[in-house]
Amino acid sequence: MSDALKYSLADFFYNDSKNVLDPPSDFEEWMSDPSVRVGFSFYEQKLLAAPRSSTEILSNVDGKKRRVINLMSYNYLGLSTHPEVIEAAIEGLRKYGLGASGAPLLSGTYDLHVEFARQLAAFKGKEDCILYSSGLGGNVGAIQGILRKGDVFIMDEKCHKSLVDGCTLSGAKMLFFNHNNMQNLDDLLAKNKGKRILVAVEGVYSMDGDLVKLPEVVEVCERYPNTAIYIDEAHSTLMFGKNGKGVAEHFNLEDKVGISFGTLSKSFGGVGGFICSNAPIIRYLKGYSSPFHFSCAPSPVVIAGLIKALEVATRDSSLRDKLWENTKYFKERLDGMHLDLGGTESQVIPIIIGASGEMLYSMAASMQTRGLFLQPVDFPAVPAEARRFRISMSAQLTKAEMDEALNIIEDVVARGMREAGLLKT
Amino acid sequence: MTRDEVIAVIKKNILDNLEDLEESSIDPEKSMKDLGANSLDIIEVVSCSMRELNLKIPRTELADVKTIGQLADKFMEQIGK
Ligand SMILES: Cc1ncc(COP(=O)(O)O)c(C=O)c1O
Repeated sequence: MSDALKYSLADFFYNDSKNVLDPPSDFEEWMSDPSVRVGFSFYEQKLLAAPRSSTEILSNVDGKKRRVINLMSYNYLGLSTHPEVIEAAIEGLRKYGLGASGAPLLSGTYDLHVEFARQLAAFKGKEDCILYSSGLGGNVGAIQGILRKGDVFIMDEKCHKSLVDGCTLSGAKMLFFNHNNMQNLDDLLAKNKGKRILVAVEGVYSMDGDLVKLPEVVEVCERYPNTAIYIDEAHSTLMFGKNGKGVAEHFNLEDKVGISFGTLSKSFGGVGGFICSNAPIIRYLKGYSSPFHFSCAPSPVVIAGLIKALEVATRDSSLRDKLWENTKYFKERLDGMHLDLGGTESQVIPIIIGASGEMLYSMAASMQTRGLFLQPVDFPAVPAEARRFRISMSAQLTKAEMDEALNIIEDVVARGMREAGLLKT
Repeated sequence: MTRDEVIAVIKKNILDNLEDLEESSIDPEKSMKDLGANSLDIIEVVSCSMRELNLKIPRTELADVKTIGQLADKFMEQIGK
């Protein structure tokens, strides 16, 4: 294939092959192109140790085991590897075994699940909470469980795929407004006035690290009756707001949010998802939300660890304070290198390098060889002209780790972009 | 194949994929978004049209396309090759 690097996964979705077991013929050709293989070699690299701020990987770049500073893992507060969390999970394992061995309605609900759901509802200031085995399942399940054909789901164009999939399953009409563009949202609401409408936003947008303009969203939505707000706080729960409740608390608008979603896989350091809302709609969801109804309940081991994680993260503000201190330190130094950090306002920091896929992958390889685990994020996950590295800050990072990571970014990314004439200064 | 024929293929796919549209309301100077399409609808229309015209243009090269007419122009460039 001549211009293989111009193609992406966005180009092979449709399959005209005769047999469903055969991928499209040009997909095979594309995947075997050497330049494409280099790109794909970055994916599914093996971590050989816990997702701490320093860890070990088996590199696909050169096949070697390597100690790396980890700017990838969503272990924002270090809870996945917190000693108290690990102890609690071990105790949970001893008492309950590995799995729940049942769907929640019949035999998968343990005292731990009920207790944790109660704690999460109280934490989010809502009446009730439903747990899911994955964050994706929570979003899919909430939207599919609540919306029906004839309803309208309006979401920010940067919202997560799980919301799209949930809407597809529900049969509701799916509309997107331009990112954080209130005029556009208002137009869509006006066109659908009178229908049952759910508007979805994210607290922190996952590829850009910027925040929802929640006060404006609330103001616009309040002009239209029967328009509810759904907020996905995957990247903000336990970190934003005075008590760490999320971006809705940060803006002091918790009571304006109808449904609050969170994942248990990021700041919480475990796996799973949850929805908090009023008690009647949670009860209704339990009857109609397939990922809840027709799937085994979350592992009691994980829930035991998560109960401790919630306690550790909320008994004082030390972990989130440390995260914000690290984020400030790191961001100031990246700014000093004149890198394009998009509009980040959070612990998710993109370094946007531009349109060149070749440059993206060669920089990723150089950084990894130098001991920094910072993966390339390519089209179609992000726009083709804004390929990037995406940093997840962590409260676990030490100053020495941050300084070494910054050195590597300076040497590889800032210098590379300067030499290519792509830096502002 | 003429530009008008290409536009006819795109129009047909828009009508197949979007609800409540009259053929006469599809103006090539408009964007599909103006006609109420969401990003998934647009992918569907573009993919179906390319299949029908036996074209393959990388999605990265269609990023700056705004209107239906501009999409037809991109298709024409490829047909001319
Ligand atoms: C905004 C957003 N929502 C939902 C999810 C899904 O969460 P999980 O990975 O825990 O399934 C993610 C992460 O992948 C996300 O970034």
